[in-house]
Amino acid sequence: MAYHFQIIEDCLKCAFREHNLFCDLSREALGRLQHIKATSVYPKGALLCLEGQSPRGIFVLCTGRAKLSTTSSEGKSMILRVAEPGEVLGLTAAVSGSPYEATVETLEPSQANFIAQADFVRFLQEFPDVGLKVAKQLTHNCKCAYDEIRSLGLSNSVPEKLAKLILRWAEHPLDLSTKKPNEIAVRVTLTQEEIAQFIGTSRETVSRVLTGFRKKGFIRVKGATWTIINRRALENLVTT
Amino acid sequence: MEVTVVTVLHFKWEYKQSMNSTSSHSAVANELYEMLSPGVQAELVKAERSMTVPEGTTLIRQDVPPENLVIINSGKVAVSLNCMRGAASVDYSEPGKVFGMRALVSGELPEINVTCVESCSITVVPRDYFLSLLQNNPEIYFGVAKVLSSDLKIADRILRKNSRRFFCGPRSRTVKPD
Repeated sequence: MAYHFQIIEDCLKCAFREHNLFCDLSREALGRLQHIKATSVYPKGALLCLEGQSPRGIFVLCTGRAKLSTTSSEGKSMILRVAEPGEVLGLTAAVSGSPYEATVETLEPSQANFIAQADFVRFLQEFPDVGLKVAKQLTHNCKCAYDEIRSLGLSNSVPEKLAKLILRWAEHPLDLSTKKPNEIAVRVTLTQEEIAQFIGTSRETVSRVLTGFRKKGFIRVKGATWTIINRRALENLVTT
Repeated sequence: MEVTVVTVLHFKWEYKQSMNSTSSHSAVANELYEMLSPGVQAELVKAERSMTVPEGTTLIRQDVPPENLVIINSGKVAVSLNCMRGAASVDYSEPGKVFGMRALVSGELPEINVTCVESCSITVVPRDYFLSLLQNNPEIYFGVAKVLSSDLKIADRILRKNSRRFFCGPRSRTVKPD
């Protein structure tokens, strides 16, 4: 319990598997998965795979969150998205046999199940329901990527982009007894530099806009816990 | 709504007028077929049609449900995504690429446009036939996964290529921590 979460070693007994896109498999498939996976726990900041690295296999993120980042055409680091529990990481590379498309780094202590590429491909071929889940996951990833492209083109101002990002985080609120009614608490594990990479701006701008949000009473920041005090005001900033 | 209908009709007309149809099996190995068993490949070949389409033909149109799976045998196509500030685009020329898969298997509308930038040889497989085959042969999902993986790569390429246009921040700069 050093990482403050329970390590799940048996996929068949995992309480979260029905909620996770990839893990809700048949008992036969889960039984096989149990044999081919290797469970590991990673500290915050661990690199699961690197952009451009030859694919070794996939990681099923069981607990924790991880950021997927890449390098833009002009050499800037860009965060593509933050992966949530239940997501399969390194899927594109493992299926196509091409190098990893993104660098995956844990944002908090996380558990991930690693499956070697050859085992995963056999698993995919042997169990059609796994193929269906993989197709759903890839479809979801494509949609996220297209949404991201549209959002880059549509959001004009940094306050708008930041408001949009905070509202997206608010879809997964923290259940805190200390918050007041109508307030939404979210856990933010990204640094200001990472938030800047997420929305395509500089860290200084993120800092300035955040200060503005706090002064105007839109949000309250205490460590990694951000509380949305005036959701309507943030929504009003989002025009697209 | 009227504009959309006209667009769809034009799309169909374009296909009928421009195709130089043959019934031969797709000449180039493609990312879908190479993952399938010979039996499933043979089933697909039964329904496929190969044709040559001229430059400017739109093979997949954003927000219009595709009627076919489209395989590029030769020629160069451009993939683009409409945004409010214009179209974010990337060229794609690799023969063997399959388009329309995501919309077919998810039932969602396509989010990209695929347009020929030169005369292209393509093979099409009707949507309903493919979905029926998929239902009866779930092992095709492995091939589907491969096609969707390359779709995701294209999306990432569009993102990388267009980040400079859309990102408003300065180039890398040394900053002091908080």
